[in-house]
Amino acid sequence: MITLRSLLRPTRRVHAHCDIPCGIYDPEQARIEAESCLRIIEKHDASDDKLFRARCVHVKEERAELVKHHLDVLWHDYFKPEHLEKHPGIHETFWKAAKQASKVKQTMDVAAAKELLLMIDSVDEMWKTTGGPEKTRVNGRPS
Amino acid sequence: MRHWLALAAGIIGGAAIVLFATRRVLDVVEVQGGSMAPSLLPGDRLLVEALTYRWRAPRAGEVVLAIDPRAPGRELIKRVRASGPEVDLRGDAPAASTDSRAFGTIAVTEVRWRAMLRYWPLSRFGLLPAGPYRAG
Repeated sequence: MITLRSLLRPTRRVHAHCDIPCGIYDPEQARIEAESCLRIIEKHDASDDKLFRARCVHVKEERAELVKHHLDVLWHDYFKPEHLEKHPGIHETFWKAAKQASKVKQTMDVAAAKELLLMIDSVDEMWKTTGGPEKTRVNGRPS
Repeated sequence: MRHWLALAAGIIGGAAIVLFATRRVLDVVEVQGGSMAPSLLPGDRLLVEALTYRWRAPRAGEVVLAIDPRAPGRELIKRVRASGPEVDLRGDAPAASTDSRAFGTIAVTEVRWRAMLRYWPLSRFGLLPAGPYRAG
């Protein structure tokens, strides 16, 4: 027996969904981790202490992984389709920067770490020209 | 004259119950989440149908259901901002909505259900309010 009540009982829940993104983004986060990588590599090269050098390798790999994470968050969450019109190179830039971060993770190459900083700076430039400092920091980026 | 009206009403009503009972082309759903506020609120119950989009594409301004491309177990309700081979979906509350801005557009063939009317709460019974993006 089909009753009106059973007909009107919802069978599915549909989601007017929101991730509740906090909306705070800044390429500085990636840059600080990348600067750590650079400095750790320099300290590693200047040291004879086996244990210290081993720790350098370990910590640098962690920091490089964080660079990749912060770049990914910017790429996936901050940049929107409309930004692509202004910066058609967004995907290429992030792809190369993520690969560069992998290289920094895998090697003790000072030049690679410096190159990574330059790449993060170009992400930073795109973030700035899309209104990032005003829109995604609480009171803009501290000077 | 009366007979004909009663007969027509009976046929339409009977057809609706049959369609309903199978839940293939008519169904009722409950809204969760607030990204469609103020048009739709959590707990609203809606009548949805899956016939219209067999004949034509979704139009800007219509409220539709679609599987979340990032979580296939989740069915989303959003408004069509623009439609073509790909449908651009947005919440009516853009500051509190995860939509095409985050997960990209959805293939038009994936959009099958259209929300028609709200039947609960009764105080807000009626066709869904027009939101943004209404086509001229």
